[in-house]
Amino acid sequence: MSRTTIIPIGPQHPAFLEPLNVSLELKEERVVGATLNLGYNHRGMEHALSLDYKKSQYLVERVCGICSNHHSAAYCQTVEAIYGVEVPERARIIRTITMECQRITSHLLALGHIAEVVGYENLFMQCFRERELVMRLVNEITGNRVHYSTNVIGGVKRDIDAAMERRIEDVMSDLRPRLEELHAIFSRDSTFVKRTKGIGKLTREQAIDWCVVGPVARASGVAQDVREDGFAAYDRVRLRPVVREEGDCYARTMVRMDECLRSVDLIEECLPLLKEGSVVLSVKGHPSGEGISRVEAPRGELMYYVKAIGKLQLDRVKIRTPAFVNVPAVQAMLPGARLADVPVITVSLDPCICCTDR
Amino acid sequence: MSMLTSSFRNLFRRPFTTSYPKGGADLPDTNRGRVLWDMSRCIFCRRCERSCPTIAIITDKEAKTQTIIRNRCIACNTCVEVCPTQTISMVPEYSAPDTAPTVHVFSVDLPAHQYRVEHLPRGEGRPPS
Repeated sequence: MSRTTIIPIGPQHPAFLEPLNVSLELKEERVVGATLNLGYNHRGMEHALSLDYKKSQYLVERVCGICSNHHSAAYCQTVEAIYGVEVPERARIIRTITMECQRITSHLLALGHIAEVVGYENLFMQCFRERELVMRLVNEITGNRVHYSTNVIGGVKRDIDAAMERRIEDVMSDLRPRLEELHAIFSRDSTFVKRTKGIGKLTREQAIDWCVVGPVARASGVAQDVREDGFAAYDRVRLRPVVREEGDCYARTMVRMDECLRSVDLIEECLPLLKEGSVVLSVKGHPSGEGISRVEAPRGELMYYVKAIGKLQLDRVKIRTPAFVNVPAVQAMLPGARLADVPVITVSLDPCICCTDR
Repeated sequence: MSMLTSSFRNLFRRPFTTSYPKGGADLPDTNRGRVLWDMSRCIFCRRCERSCPTIAIITDKEAKTQTIIRNRCIACNTCVEVCPTQTISMVPEYSAPDTAPTVHVFSVDLPAHQYRVEHLPRGEGRPPS
């Protein structure tokens, strides 16, 4: 029999946190083709962002809740590039610290999510318990758990004082053994390894063809990290990108797990760099001109393009989010997989539909 | 094997969660919860109203009131920063949940940080103009 069956997964599915639809073409239990449908969550953010450049620094955070700080950092960097101002050193280091904190929370959410999809509720709970430590720390640093609202055009709103520096050090030294424990579970636990190893392979050539970015690309052997360009204070710290060659769900998970530990290193490296100085630079007048900026969000390269016309309104805001390029690659990973592995493969990409649809 | 040892250790640990609302939320002093006005210092310059990214603040110069739509406020701290007379302050506690959109009216005849609670009809974000 060579008849195929079409099975839709999503837009509402227990495994997905957000609405996306994958139309699967099945032959018995095997997937032979997959089509991705997106756009269930479109909010017209790019238009709304161009209405008022000052108020947009709060709206950009609402593009996505998990990488909100990276969005606002990228937007502020772009507008600062249009103004042609250099942000104070201290503000750049504080931005780096908050961005790395958010990378840990985002990666732990992704790790917890894949553990849940695999059917490992216990591991999911553990991931979220460690995540809570960072969430509380960020609440103390910036004043909010999710939407930090700390980046403004010209710097950051809140300074980190000596007591807060010690607090960050304490939390990081408390977090490291906990993350190492999670690392041991993810790398050795047979339940998890059996469900992820060799599943959803994306070869290096396919990764380049589908233009994937971030941990997905690095898990397929493409050593690509925007942090090496040295935005914020990344030129002052020792970066060691995590690259694996396997390209399967296991490799993608382990890249995220290793990056959490690297982020702890980066935050600890940033703290002694904090020197006395101001954290915000005031800018005068409305911006005029074009600007482009890239940051490494937890899911990969995030790009902002802004065209300003010397008014409160902006002519154009273009966002290229990492999930927008990563999610379609699921069509390359699914053929050949079993139906039961489809949620695991999709979730291993860490799909963020808020970012994708905007 | 390591998950098994971890699970056993968790069995004998104190629970990580708190019994909210009985135990109270664990909020730091720096948390951005909600904004309050001290109306004796307000000069009705409308800077907070103009700078609010979500149009949550309505300044009424004639009635001498500041109205905030709690559902719209995102606690971004902008109004606190732009206020020239330090009238507005941010407190760590969140406002109580409600079943209908709540509006808090701060007026000069009320003591500092006290407000009158008004409700909007269901589904409406702004008071009728």
